[in-house]
Amino acid sequence: MKIKKMAIDWLDSRLGVSELLHQQLGGYKLPRNINTWYALGAVIMALFGLQFLTGILLLIYYVPDTEKAFASVTMIMNEVPFGWLFRYLHVVCSNLIIVALLLHMMSVMFMGSYKRPRELTWISGFTLLNMGLVFCLTGYLLPWSQLSFWATTVATDAAGAVPVVGEYLVSFLRGGPSVGAATLGRFFALHVLVLPLALMGLVGFHLFCVRRNGISQAPFGKHYRPVEPSDTFTHEEHHDGIPFYPNYTSKELGVIFFALAILVLITFYAPWLFIPLDALVPADPFVTPDHIKPEWYFLWAYQTLKIFPSEFLGLAVQGAAMTFLALLPFVDRGPERRPGKRPLFLTCYLLGILLFVGISLWGHYS
Amino acid sequence: MSQATGKGKERRTFLGVLLGGFSVALGAALGWPVFKFLAPRAGADEAQQVKIPRDQVAIGGAHFFNFQGRPAVILQPEAGNFVALSAVCTHLGCIVKWENDKGEFLCPCHGGQFSASGQVLGGPPPKPLDTYPVAVVDQDIMVG
Amino acid sequence: MNRLFLGWMILVLLLWCGPALAQDTVCVQCHGGLDGRLGAPVGQWEKSIHAANGISCHDCHGGDPSDFAMAMSPERGFIGVPGYEEVPAFCGRCHLGVREDYEKSAHGEALANGGPNCVICHGNHEVVKASIDLINEQDCTRCHDYERAAEVKGVIAETEAKLQSLDLSVASLHRVGIDVERLSGELFSTRNQFRRLFHTVNVEKLQQQRSAFDSDLAEIGAQVGEIENQLSQRKLIGGIIVVLLVLAGCVALLIRQTYHSEEEAGE
Ligand code: HEM
Ligand code: FES
Repeated sequence: MKIKKMAIDWLDSRLGVSELLHQQLGGYKLPRNINTWYALGAVIMALFGLQFLTGILLLIYYVPDTEKAFASVTMIMNEVPFGWLFRYLHVVCSNLIIVALLLHMMSVMFMGSYKRPRELTWISGFTLLNMGLVFCLTGYLLPWSQLSFWATTVATDAAGAVPVVGEYLVSFLRGGPSVGAATLGRFFALHVLVLPLALMGLVGFHLFCVRRNGISQAPFGKHYRPVEPSDTFTHEEHHDGIPFYPNYTSKELGVIFFALAILVLITFYAPWLFIPLDALVPADPFVTPDHIKPEWYFLWAYQTLKIFPSEFLGLAVQGAAMTFLALLPFVDRGPERRPGKRPLFLTCYLLGILLFVGISLWGHYS
Repeated sequence: MSQATGKGKERRTFLGVLLGGFSVALGAALGWPVFKFLAPRAGADEAQQVKIPRDQVAIGGAHFFNFQGRPAVILQPEAGNFVALSAVCTHLGCIVKWENDKGEFLCPCHGGQFSASGQVLGGPPPKPLDTYPVAVVDQDIMVG
Repeated sequence: MNRLFLGWMILVLLLWCGPALAQDTVCVQCHGGLDGRLGAPVGQWEKSIHAANGISCHDCHGGDPSDFAMAMSPERGFIGVPGYEEVPAFCGRCHLGVREDYEKSAHGEALANGGPNCVICHGNHEVVKASIDLINEQDCTRCHDYERAAEVKGVIAETEAKLQSLDLSVASLHRVGIDVERLSGELFSTRNQFRRLFHTVNVEKLQQQRSAFDSDLAEIGAQVGEIENQLSQRKLIGGIIVVLLVLAGCVALLIRQTYHSEEEAGE
């Protein structure tokens, strides 16, 4: 105890650590009516942390070579002690991260937290969601199974619908006319180095935005007071709010434990949910398996490409939808955040979710 | 008020200890697999015995091979007589070189010299090279 | 031994890549459009285990599957339809072991006198995965009484059932990511040997040699059992960890609750 105090005092007298800690933890006040949804950001960070750990472990035995990748994954699953555990955790966690990202996005959307002055928080967040998806796409190829190979072939092929440069774009993504060793090389580099670095940087920016603006009040209940829009920078203060630490971190910790419980449950009891049969067969560039389907989070895109008469139209619609979402804070500019007072938004929100689920299901069963 | 806080504090300390306990258990449940995952395993390249075709070892020559995960060398000083030695210098672990003309080993790192039977002839090495048992079986030599 | 290994490797590979291998050959294109005797085999074959494993017309009948004009030229190895007594040799080009034992059996020895060839029991173009149900009163009594056939069936029934259930177990291990290459290889070769022995239709021989197969299968079964054990152990431990995580989550929320009541009190 005494040593700890001495160490803190030593640091403190030089860097003012305790002031900093107080500012960021106990003195950092959150709105009184903060709810469970606000814990999702922390859940995502915890899951990404675990993902980094399991990823580094897999990297120790994985071989990024078209001849050896599948065998190395088989070896991890069957010979390396607990290799199956880390592989399954990595696979299942990637799916849970997408779920958590979607929930986080839907909750901040529902509560109108993306509105001024939090546009940058939203845009960085939306970029992070897309990075999460690219993470999954690039990781999917690495085991070099039939599923990896053909899912990547189909996914990269979609870029061919872009006018004029489409064909070049496809071969640029693949590093050649078709998926092969060159594709594995670039996807591997993206997956284990580029994306993690970029993600960490962008998460830093996202958190900076969140911290700088202050956490928004939840727009519910009789205590909610709309914030007057201002032309100058203001940090949303919550003088009578609750301390971030330990009052809210205890809640975040609880929610993280529950998320981990779900992760472990699926990892031990139903990992095959995310490992279709085609993932158990090594890639064969000459044999396309029947009924190849993308992962659940890409089904909407897959199905839109099929619905429209031309691939280009489908791709354009997808692009428009994503751009619309990315720029939402600039489209929906009214200051009102209470869902009850935003009937038009609420209708679009619910219809949007239904459309997403509907198209995904359609894609799944078609 | 102060009493209530006191009670609340006690309760919180208890819960805190409980949570700490769970966290330690869970940490161990993650830490153990990580340790096992990283711990070296007795792999296929560490077979107890190594078989070397006889014709790979010239009379008066040396053949380097892997024995139980470490570099080793086998010599045939005279026809039908084989000697297997560790090729790891006993000084600081460099791999010794066979000098065909001298019939000796020279360590390239600090000039350690060993005889064809592994004895130190000069230089810093503190002890002779390890020797391994050898048996000739038909056209093969079994080491180990 | 090595030959055998290679053999089943190829077979397993074929099993995996099967569906797409049986491509649209000129045989299928032409005969698919024909009526009656010349067209029927295409539809029958499509439902067969041969089709499912990528074995197409030319693999048995020879000829050139990529050249319309020369498809049925003897120069390109076209064989056409084998005569009744040629069938065992025809099928036996791939099913070597079975052919050997069949030829020495009562069935095989009677071939010249109208004894059954392969297709009498297995059918030809619509051949499906062989099963013990091929031995049944209706079919066997086409030539002789059922008594002896029933006896043979009785002798192999248990081993066949074991083969079937091991097949299923191995498939479900594969489904959860276990590397079953070696196990399914052993199973495959044991089944082949056993099926081959069966074709002697010799009750005494079957009875004598059955126990060797049974012990092979028991061995494989033990390995499967061990893996299954491991898997259920994993589940047990996983379950404990889930419970721990849920408890930890609850405790954290209880801690949150203590702060929450302070917040309320302080209001
Ligand atoms: C790697 C991905 C992400 C991480 C680690 C992350 C992390 C966080 C954290 C820790 C917070 C603070 C509290 C809270 O959870 O509400 C937050 C807030 C926020 N996030 Fe994210 N987020 C991610 C992705 C996203 C996405 C995909 C979006 C939306 C497209 C988004 C939009 C927002 C917004 C608008 C806030 C402000 C909430 C408020 O102040 O009320 N974030 N994020
Ligand atoms: S390591 Fe060989 S002489 Fe120093």
